[in-house]
Amino acid sequence: MAPRWRKATRDLMARPGRTALAILALVAGVFQVGAMLYKFALLQPELTTMYGRTDPAAAVFTTDGVTDEVVDVVRHVPGVGVAEARPVVIARVRKGDAEWIPAAVSVIRDFDAQQIDTFKPEAGAWPPGRDEIVLERSALEFSHIAIGDTITLRLPGGEDRAMRVAGTVYAAGLAPAWMEHVVPGYVTWDSPVRGAADGSGESAQIRMRVADHAFDEGYVQEVADSAQAALERAGHVVSRVTIPPPGKHPHADQMAAFLFLLLTFGILSFALSMLLVTGMIHGLMIEQVREVGVMKALGATDRQVAAIYLGQVAILAAVALVIGTPIGLFVGRAYAEFSAGILNVDLTHRPFPLWLLLAEFVLGVVLPLLVALIPIRRAARISVHEALSDGAGARAFGERPFERTLLSIRALPRPLALSLRTALRRPGRVGLTVAMLAVGGAAFMAALNTAAAWNGAVEADFAHRRYDLTVVLVEFQATAELDRILAAVPEVAHAEYWPGASPYLVGPHGVSTVTATMLGPDPGSELLRLPLTAGRWLEPGDLDAVVINQSVVQNHPGLGVGDSVGVRQRGRTTRFPIVGIVKEIAPTPAIYAPPGAVRGVTGRVPGESRSIRVVSRSHDDAGQLRAARALETAFEAAGIEVTGMHRMLDQKKGILDHLVILISILTMASLIVVIVGAIGLASTLTVSVVQRTREIGILSAIGATPGTIAWQVTFEGLLLAVLSWLAALVLSIPLSFGLEYAAGMIFLRVPLPFSLSPSAAGTWLGLVVVLALVSSFYPARRATGLSVREALGST
Amino acid sequence: MINVRGLTKAYTHSAGAFHALRGIDLDIRPGEFVAIVGKSGSGKSTLLNLLGGIDRPTTGIVRIEGTAIESLSPTELARWRGRRVGFVFQSFQLLPTLTVRENVMLPMDFAGYGPERGRSARARELLDQVGVADQADKLPAALSGGQQQRAAIARALANDPPLLLADEPTGNLDSATGGAIFSLFATLVTAGRTIVVVTHERDADSGVQRRVTLADGAVVA
Repeated sequence: MAPRWRKATRDLMARPGRTALAILALVAGVFQVGAMLYKFALLQPELTTMYGRTDPAAAVFTTDGVTDEVVDVVRHVPGVGVAEARPVVIARVRKGDAEWIPAAVSVIRDFDAQQIDTFKPEAGAWPPGRDEIVLERSALEFSHIAIGDTITLRLPGGEDRAMRVAGTVYAAGLAPAWMEHVVPGYVTWDSPVRGAADGSGESAQIRMRVADHAFDEGYVQEVADSAQAALERAGHVVSRVTIPPPGKHPHADQMAAFLFLLLTFGILSFALSMLLVTGMIHGLMIEQVREVGVMKALGATDRQVAAIYLGQVAILAAVALVIGTPIGLFVGRAYAEFSAGILNVDLTHRPFPLWLLLAEFVLGVVLPLLVALIPIRRAARISVHEALSDGAGARAFGERPFERTLLSIRALPRPLALSLRTALRRPGRVGLTVAMLAVGGAAFMAALNTAAAWNGAVEADFAHRRYDLTVVLVEFQATAELDRILAAVPEVAHAEYWPGASPYLVGPHGVSTVTATMLGPDPGSELLRLPLTAGRWLEPGDLDAVVINQSVVQNHPGLGVGDSVGVRQRGRTTRFPIVGIVKEIAPTPAIYAPPGAVRGVTGRVPGESRSIRVVSRSHDDAGQLRAARALETAFEAAGIEVTGMHRMLDQKKGILDHLVILISILTMASLIVVIVGAIGLASTLTVSVVQRTREIGILSAIGATPGTIAWQVTFEGLLLAVLSWLAALVLSIPLSFGLEYAAGMIFLRVPLPFSLSPSAAGTWLGLVVVLALVSSFYPARRATGLSVREALGST
Repeated sequence: MINVRGLTKAYTHSAGAFHALRGIDLDIRPGEFVAIVGKSGSGKSTLLNLLGGIDRPTTGIVRIEGTAIESLSPTELARWRGRRVGFVFQSFQLLPTLTVRENVMLPMDFAGYGPERGRSARARELLDQVGVADQADKLPAALSGGQQQRAAIARALANDPPLLLADEPTGNLDSATGGAIFSLFATLVTAGRTIVVVTHERDADSGVQRRVTLADGAVVA
């Protein structure tokens, strides 16, 4: 081997600590990109194709029955490819004496011949027996139910059925149960549960797929309209037609956001790694200036000198590639499996990532070489005289205005002034390190800020709903009777009966579009006061005035106070003047109207209700639970069947859980960026110690103790950390704004109110200080471990 | 003042041990101006480093004012050095980010010398004593070599140490400036300070009271 190549390798081996740090920085880059790309490679095909593989329904008709005759009516409509009866029983489930949990039980005609919204066997029996049920797999952990357990299913008629959980299935088309807080279950056609579906118009569903143009929403709408007309012509009542966005998973937006964030952070962290490599190579070249001068004095050309150091970078990068790639792939797969578990996705496609290895090579070896070219070329071009003169490569302190400003601060004690000036002596390196840490910190704070904004928005929204429970009864009951029952329940402080409906929103051209929630709170009620963005809230004396939420406006842009909104129910369209617009976090359209107006839509009469808003004596979780149980008992004793008992704290948790995945990916990704920043900080401090070796020797010679010298290095680390914190604070403002806006729009269709959490800034400050202390440890130890003789370079 | 007995220093290399000093015995009285001379590699800088406690002997004893410095911990040694020894280096070694005055004040800060508010005035006084008071608020880079070495001597005197050790202090200076530095040392000796200077043969007559010659790690004259 030529001596110059021996020099390249021996230089690396002569400084094992420094070499290890450089490799670590490169490993961090290779690892992150590998992990992120592999995770993306594993998840992306699943997330984009899994929904399609379930043959999702193009339209769902809620009708008055699910007989073969009804299905045939739909099946024979031109354009309909497949039609299938899929009664869904909205029930409640519990294991033993545990709390009731909402459940959606689908009745399946033939488990082995599913054509629409298909699901696969996962564990246990397939199909279940007559008195058995299989649950969607994501429901087990959330509901604390296991295969083999016997659960109680409370059906809409109030009947309780003991059913054995025979197994689990995987329904990729459903949102995970933990997110929706509903247990999806499946029973066979001969199950006694089907009786409950036959008796309830709400649960009788016919699903259809179109023969072609499956992704043309307009075409699907046309075919669905034809099918609805055909059903009505055949004498059936179609109470609801739902057309899910074609080919779009219920949580497709979250998944898209998830993948986008993955890639963004992968690219960001790699860019930071490259900055880190640049900084390290720059530091290395400063150390080597004298040797460069000697080699050039001996006749080496610029190219020959550059080749030696590029060779060093190539060796470092190759070692990092060998270490970082398998770790990246391993962690990427583990992380993909973790995310897949949260999203209820199966990783069926596990290719050996050949393209990824190529990408890793390009990013892990070629790019660092290109990045290193700049500082190496600059160093290789130095003149022999400049390289060999004392203080080679170093610019005199005090030439820059900033340095002169630092000099003018005379009030500082000398050791502190020395630390400060030394730390800020090389602004390029300081800027690089500060930028690396700041980007990680800003991302970290933005994640926490978004979580805080989300929590704040949900809390604020729920604060406007001052009731604790919503009780839904199977049948309408006389409110006088309900009053009597509620009066006997000591846990109930107050209750109101609000009529509700689920009509279609009617668009400007008279076409019914999406379903809206229509609610009739008492205009004088204190239980619901939503924040207004325009107009006013309902007032006593209002007869047909309504208040709409922002989602109605998003569905029908242009609607405002003074306009009217149309709703269609029971084949009849009614228009209401809009007097106010409210902002709430619900993504679904909602119309708030006087009770009489809602009854006008549903055709019900005053003095009866099946929906009760209850204020419990105690508003905490235990208090709500006590009230819910007491109400269950009271209604059961009165022979009144309850179909839904929704606790507000539970609903709030459901909404909060939607952001868990986003925040987790964001926090984890930003922490990886932070780790790269910390390596950068350690590298910067090590380079600083190396460059100041002689200075440290002088300090020792004139009486500085090891503690003083260690403090000098630690101070530099802390100063950089605090500067990065300040920069991160500034950077986190636009980042948080963007993220909060995006999170709000993706999940709630309304931007989250901009919020900066002081605890996020505090947490990051604490973390970055700890990082600085940890990162300073090795360089400080190295500085104090230098013998004065060595440091002064004398023999 | 300085008592050295049986001092050896060996460096271990892959080629074997190199004995920089071989059994040095040396006594230096208070107020003496001693030059250590010898050829390159004779061990004179090593001896100076051992006298100043910036290196540890392999065997032997170095007593300065009765203190066996090899028995001190690194922190004790640093404190002792700060108060009792002043160093002057060949390449001045002023800290580039501190002004000349701040460089002189720094050892006082480390040693906690005198009242804090009096340190600036003392630095000025010392700089005046060595003839560079007008450069006090400049950065070292703005000074000539001779001026920097004078400032370095002022810094070495900051804590009023009884012992001044100088390692080829004129090695980077022209002969006229070097002569001026030796004259300054002579003045300091007159004021009662002990000075040990490692230097070349040619400078060893500039007011030096005693010459110790080393060859191959041993005192030969």
